Amino acid sequence: MVKIQRVKLRYSDGEGLEGVNLEVRDGDFTYLVGPTGAGKSSVLKLIYMDEFPSEGYVQVDEYNSRDVRPSEIPYLRRRLGIIFQDFKLLDDRDVFENVAFALRVTGVRRKDIKRRTLRALAEVGLSHKSRKMPNLLSGGEQQRVAIARAIVNEPFIILADEPTGNLDPKTTVEIMNILDKLNARGTAVLMATHNFELVNSSTKRVVSIKNGRTLT
Amino acid sequence: MLFVLKEGVTGFIKARLAGFVAVMTIAISLTLIGVFLLITVNLGKFVDFLRSRVELEVFLDDSFDEERIDLLGTEIRQIDGVDELTFISKEMAMLEYKKLFRDAQADYIETLGYNPLPASYRVTLREGHRTATEAERVFTTMAEIDGVGENNVVYRREYLVRLEKYINSAIAVDFVVGTIVCLSALLLVSNNIRLIILSKTHIIETMKLVGATPFLVRMPLYVQGMIQGILGGIISAIFLYGLVGLGSLKVPGILTADWRIYLIIANFGALLGLAGSVTAVRRYL
Repeated sequence: MVKIQRVKLRYSDGEGLEGVNLEVRDGDFTYLVGPTGAGKSSVLKLIYMDEFPSEGYVQVDEYNSRDVRPSEIPYLRRRLGIIFQDFKLLDDRDVFENVAFALRVTGVRRKDIKRRTLRALAEVGLSHKSRKMPNLLSGGEQQRVAIARAIVNEPFIILADEPTGNLDPKTTVEIMNILDKLNARGTAVLMATHNFELVNSSTKRVVSIKNGRTLT
Repeated sequence: MLFVLKEGVTGFIKARLAGFVAVMTIAISLTLIGVFLLITVNLGKFVDFLRSRVELEVFLDDSFDEERIDLLGTEIRQIDGVDELTFISKEMAMLEYKKLFRDAQADYIETLGYNPLPASYRVTLREGHRTATEAERVFTTMAEIDGVGENNVVYRREYLVRLEKYINSAIAVDFVVGTIVCLSALLLVSNNIRLIILSKTHIIETMKLVGATPFLVRMPLYVQGMIQGILGGIISAIFLYGLVGLGSLKVPGILTADWRIYLIIANFGALLGLAGSVTAVRRYL
């Protein structure tokens, strides 16, 4: 469960969030929509605790922004799957290693790394490209690798920051299908997007954000 | 742990140019430190050599018989700081005089009919007592011995005072230069690791996002810093070995170095690599 309550967040340039409220229950699929610069990414950063509110609080599972210790943040992030518009893949290693990376840095046993990585790659339909380098893949395939990396730690929620922003409509549908499939299996999804067309064609819950305020 | 080592080693291998630059930076810095160390060690040896030549001479009255001379020798030997005592008879003193001045005319025995040069004890000081203060103390104690007196003890007081002044200045310069060289080396290495951190922003960011602990984010950088340091240390030890060889070839004995200096340099490389990466990681990560 993720709960953001009366949150204010100030940046040095004066912009920020002003009174944000949001709740994502286990298994929910929620769109966070708003124009560029509205504060969508900031909301996600608050959830993975890269930013901390100046007022209000953020509760992610048992971690609360008011009293979380810096040493606990890596353990919080292991329970989240995060994907970005620009994929953030490591171009010095192949697809398998990109996905396995999330397990290696969290101290998972070697035997389990292989099993879980292959399972995650199968989930996104990239088993046959596990030894390819990321730069040889299409944008859609790269985002699928990023999704595989995000789910390999079996998170309870996927935070997706404009995951289809760089993709064509056909690939967008493919990515949305994967996210739907994961959500159907019980993983919550919070997807930030400014693609109103995509949101309007969906029946899922929508939370709007404008000028740093959420309008449910 | 395996991940840390693997990331550290592959990080070094993948950053070929940056890695090479880092290794060479460390090698050059360490060579500078090594040269400074060599100069310090050799300066120390030279100072020891100069100090070892400091001696006091006690002239003995011609009226002293053998027993009195022996007794005086025993008394001098008992003074704290005295190392060796050499008896120079009147005959030996004359021989030395002739050898020293090569003056055929100065045949005192023929002219005067007797040898006017007195017998003496030459006294060297133990290591640790070869300073101006200590020499003066031994001088005073000797002069107080019955039958000796201040006029019969001589040593190169001025030389020793001047030597100490030079040594103190040399040590001060040595210390300042050494500190500057070490700090510059640390700064160079730290700056290099900073560049490596900047080039790794992407991977570090990803590590943090997927839940790597700060320890795991930092350790590969430390390993990388240490590998660079060790390699830089080895290259620098080879440089220095060559430098000492070349120096000795041109002027034999001008530079000497034992294996410990090379070992210190190689180990210091690892330390410098680690210190540089720790500084950079603390500052920039």
